[in-house]
Amino acid sequence: MLSYLKNKSLEVLKAMLPLVAVIIIMQFTLLKMPLEQFWQFFAGVIMAISGMILFLVGLEIGILPMGQAIGAELPKRRSFPLLIIVAFLLGFVATIAEPDVIVLTGQIASVTDGEIGANILTFIIGIGIAFFVAMALLRIVFGFRMIYLMAASYLVIIILAFFTPAQFVPVAFDAGGVTTGPMTVPIILALGLGFSSALAGRSAISDGFGLIGLASVGPIIAIMIMGILLY
Amino acid sequence: MSFAAIFGGFGDTFIGVIKALLPILVLFIIFQLFFLKLPKKYIYNLMVGTAIAGLGLLLFLQGVHVGFLPAGEAIGKYLGNIESYWLLIPFGFFIGFLTTWTEPAVRVLCDQVEKASASSIRKTTVLVAICVGVAVFVALGMAKIIYGIPLLYIVVPGYIIALLMMWFSDKSFLSIAFDAGGVATGPMAVTFLLAIAVGISSAMEGRDPILHGFGLIALIALAPILSVMTLGFLARIRKRKKEL
Repeated sequence: MLSYLKNKSLEVLKAMLPLVAVIIIMQFTLLKMPLEQFWQFFAGVIMAISGMILFLVGLEIGILPMGQAIGAELPKRRSFPLLIIVAFLLGFVATIAEPDVIVLTGQIASVTDGEIGANILTFIIGIGIAFFVAMALLRIVFGFRMIYLMAASYLVIIILAFFTPAQFVPVAFDAGGVTTGPMTVPIILALGLGFSSALAGRSAISDGFGLIGLASVGPIIAIMIMGILLY
Repeated sequence: MSFAAIFGGFGDTFIGVIKALLPILVLFIIFQLFFLKLPKKYIYNLMVGTAIAGLGLLLFLQGVHVGFLPAGEAIGKYLGNIESYWLLIPFGFFIGFLTTWTEPAVRVLCDQVEKASASSIRKTTVLVAICVGVAVFVALGMAKIIYGIPLLYIVVPGYIIALLMMWFSDKSFLSIAFDAGGVATGPMAVTFLLAIAVGISSAMEGRDPILHGFGLIALIALAPILSVMTLGFLARIRKRKKEL
């Protein structure tokens, strides 16, 4: 656990410190926020950094092993419907626990004054991912080529984009970007790799990868459809 | 500095964390009871880990809520009121480059690409390609806010280019390219850049934060896909040359 703590601390600090430095430099040269606000920012940064470190450590020793245990158990059961249902559920629960997703949906809800609610948005994003994770696993089973599935999804996105109400377009595309975070990626990868290694004759490399890319397409399509249906 | 400000909305954040983590816990417990039947000691360790993750998520979200989001918005408001808007474009380039350069997930991807190319494409090349790609797209994102360009005008051609490049890129690069979309959109880039973009577009006259503020993350996700595919295209040309 200590080695995790050290690695994750370095990782988080490396990613965050340059940005924090830019903000501090801007504060003293250009922004000049009131001192109270600056201290609040500073306290927030320390909370966010230590929080991210704890989250990643806890993820590594608590949540990811759960996801892996489920992912490894699935192919043993040899029950096709169970497999797809659980892949769907796992994709969903991992997504709604993703920090970026929580931040984005909160931001959208606050900018729209709650007109697009955070809960419903998170739900739709989760469903979008879940659907595509299940589909990506079906692809491995049936030996479809990744490139066709990907090309088809991109085409669907481009077509839907022209029918989606304008205010949903940026939200939909952003949702596609945030879903690939520290929570979903390892769980989905574990699911895919466990899956394709259990199916004889298919190489883990070419089948397991590409899942993340496909999964991030899911929320884009899901939110666009939601926009078309609701507004 | 008042503690009330730092812990403002703490209750909501707490409920948010419970809502986020409860479903995965329930799914696991169902699995444990019916299929897995792992030893108690192991389950205990997992629960400790989950509790740590929950505490971390709570601190992170609260810190973002009281620290990064207000700061990002303050910066955005400041930038939305400067006289020469074009300055935002180099600013976007710089911030895009910086956040990508420091993102650990990007380094992992660079190693993968080097391996896929059988070392014919160096790690550093990939790193620079991805950083420049993201930088250009964040700069484009700024231009989008300044000139009110609809997101579709940038994203649709981007996806069409990706679609076309799929057929010309070296096959071992393809799945890496698609998975690469996520690497540059870490939690930091998302919260901070998003807050800046929303701040700018709410400060600028005639800009709607929903239409113009959002969309930046989408561009950051698209950039590495195109960068890696371009490298895959180059790798294929090199291979051909060797064969001839």
